[in-house]
Amino acid sequence: MILGCLLTQPRWLIFASFNKMDDFSGRLLLFRIGDLACAAPATTVREILPPQRATRIPGAPPPVEGLINVRGELVTLVDGARLLGRGPGVDGGALVLLEWAATTVALAADEVLDLVPLGSVELEAREELVGIDPGVVQAVGRHAGRSFVVLALDALLGPLLTVQEDV
Amino acid sequence: MDLSQYAELFRTETRDHLLTFNRLLLEWEQHPDQPEPVAGIFRAVHTIKGMAATMGYARVADLAHRAETLLDRFRQGHRAVTDEELELLFRTADALEALVEASVGGRDAAVDVELLLGALDDAAGAHAAEPTARPRRISFVAAPVGVGRRIEVILRTDSPLKGARAALVLQRMAALGTVLAVEPAPAAIESDAFDGRFAFRLDATADAATIEREIRSAGDVDRIGIDAGDAVAEGDRDAGRTRHLRVDLRRLDTLMNVVGELVTARGRLEHLAAARGDAALAEDVATLSALTQRIQTEILQARMTPVWQVFDRFPRLVRDLSRQLNKQVAFKVEGKEIELDRAVLDEIGDPLVHLLRNAVDHGIEPPEERAAAGKPAAGQIVLAALRDRGAVTIVVSDDGRGLDRAKILAEAKARGVVDGSTDEVTDDLVLRVLGRSGFSTAGQVSQVSGRGVGVDVVLTRMRELGGSVEIKSTPGVGTTFTLRLPPTLAIVPALLARVGHERYALPLTHVAETVELDAGRVTRLETRDALLLRDELLPLVHLRDVLQIEGEPPRRRPVVVLQLGDRRTGLVIDRMEGQREIVVKSFRPPRGTLPIFSGATVLGDGDPVLILDAGGFA
Repeated sequence: MILGCLLTQPRWLIFASFNKMDDFSGRLLLFRIGDLACAAPATTVREILPPQRATRIPGAPPPVEGLINVRGELVTLVDGARLLGRGPGVDGGALVLLEWAATTVALAADEVLDLVPLGSVELEAREELVGIDPGVVQAVGRHAGRSFVVLALDALLGPLLTVQEDV
Repeated sequence: MDLSQYAELFRTETRDHLLTFNRLLLEWEQHPDQPEPVAGIFRAVHTIKGMAATMGYARVADLAHRAETLLDRFRQGHRAVTDEELELLFRTADALEALVEASVGGRDAAVDVELLLGALDDAAGAHAAEPTARPRRISFVAAPVGVGRRIEVILRTDSPLKGARAALVLQRMAALGTVLAVEPAPAAIESDAFDGRFAFRLDATADAATIEREIRSAGDVDRIGIDAGDAVAEGDRDAGRTRHLRVDLRRLDTLMNVVGELVTARGRLEHLAAARGDAALAEDVATLSALTQRIQTEILQARMTPVWQVFDRFPRLVRDLSRQLNKQVAFKVEGKEIELDRAVLDEIGDPLVHLLRNAVDHGIEPPEERAAAGKPAAGQIVLAALRDRGAVTIVVSDDGRGLDRAKILAEAKARGVVDGSTDEVTDDLVLRVLGRSGFSTAGQVSQVSGRGVGVDVVLTRMRELGGSVEIKSTPGVGTTFTLRLPPTLAIVPALLARVGHERYALPLTHVAETVELDAGRVTRLETRDALLLRDELLPLVHLRDVLQIEGEPPRRRPVVVLQLGDRRTGLVIDRMEGQREIVVKSFRPPRGTLPIFSGATVLGDGDPVLILDAGGFA
């Protein structure tokens, strides 16, 4: 219950945990997956691409759509909606390419919402979040009246993508 | 002075000299009373000393200096070298290697060579080494006109600390021969005002290309002028024009990747041109294809490296092992000049170490056992590389006792590899049992081998490289391991197989043939289908089933016959889509990915396609 713990702490503690992460300097990219507004530190975002068809990887778990070709580099595409347990993605409007664990992962999102300076983000305590596993949420934020969750990439992608040797 | 950028160059070059050191020591050991190898050993050690001193690696220089002192006594040529002295020199070679690695990494304090230094001093007798080594001073005495070749060097204007760079050049030259008549005077070279232009005479037999290469390897060299001198004939001048240079491997890797992209883009363009039916475009694309092909061939060629770069360290390894195990081994290396892609070469060192260890430890019998069997006391181990059609074959063979088939059969039954009624041990079964992690026929674990991590490492590595392993063993006669490798990893010819709506690439390395699936000739063999092909039952694997592709397969389907060693398997696919040259790329398989892929590639139309690993089906 990471989120629970996080959200019952005083606000300065949440900030302290943010400050520990170098990645959090700068800005956050906000994007929508289903009805959920999500965020990732802009430093982990490599680029945004239009959707493309993936080549299936037999045996890989369902959120993994397969491999896509990004200018000659092979990148694993993960369906954000399935990943967050929200059923198969519908719109699939954008691929957010994230640098994670020394590799690049494409996350299929419905649309990119905004790129906001971290300084303008308000981190607020909320008692509960409906329909999302708190373990995959690193923090909850609010910007310009909109609430969003900062995704915990390790918790989300770790179980899917082994950190073993490449083949 | 920051020499760190030269650290890698220093390490590479030292490694070459240490290989020479070891090789010549082995020669010397064969004939301890013949001092011919000493001069070469001395030169290698001396060069290491000079380079280390220039780089500021004082402890390396000191160790080399002490060894040099001992070697110098043999250069005077008074007596044969003793076994203890040779052992001491072998240890020195090892210590130098460790110290060089540590020094380059800035951890030289972690390597303790005090005892060795003492032993070297003792061996050198009363003429103990000076406590601190200094690089040999270059003679600045004016030489008689006409001795050697006059060489002028101009360093790059932006070179920092030109004096040190010039000293490095002169050190390198001193390793080639005698350096004379250096201009300007040493004080001027060492001064801050030194402009980077200097000249000297070199009395050496090396050709102009070698001299130039050595000078350039010092770094920051802008221009070189080598006066031919009287002794240099016209032919040598031509030789001087063949330029060699050391290229950072990463740069070649990048080039290779870019060419890979180019090949992919070319495929895409060919695809487009064919779809448009535009003759003019098709012609241009054909020209582009030919050019791309040439670039690809050239770069692949630039990456090719002779196997001796890995093989040359094995004579020492075999010598040490056989001594440790009280065995006599005559070790022969053949086909050293055969070339492999650098990336393949880097990967085969470990597997070969395992095979050689096994050969010395389990293959070759102790001398008395050999004598009792009527064999010569010294066993023979041969490591050979040969070209074999498109592939390179590496053979490790010994004339030892052969594998213990009874033990292998017992192990195979115990582990359920075969059922209890089997009593035939084919070479194929041997490989399957030996290849299992943790298996060892060694009754007891020795320091050398027998922990059961050997053959499985070899098999795994070969599979990763897209190669294969065969084993032939005859009791009392010996064992031969044959490794078949693609000469390059990056671009391989492959079949494109379609199953349902999906496409997969299958490298041709293991494809023996393709035949049509004749339903009338399919029978059931235990739990799987088998195809009767030329009086032989070929076990079948339905790729559709493996990949869990639903729907009805076409009625007429091809079978791709895969061959790994003696084992043949038929892979049933829906359709073949021809043959392509594919650029192998790695990808990080998500958890749960079927273990039947060896990588992925991008086709001409831009779609990624997974590469099937033949070893995953056999």
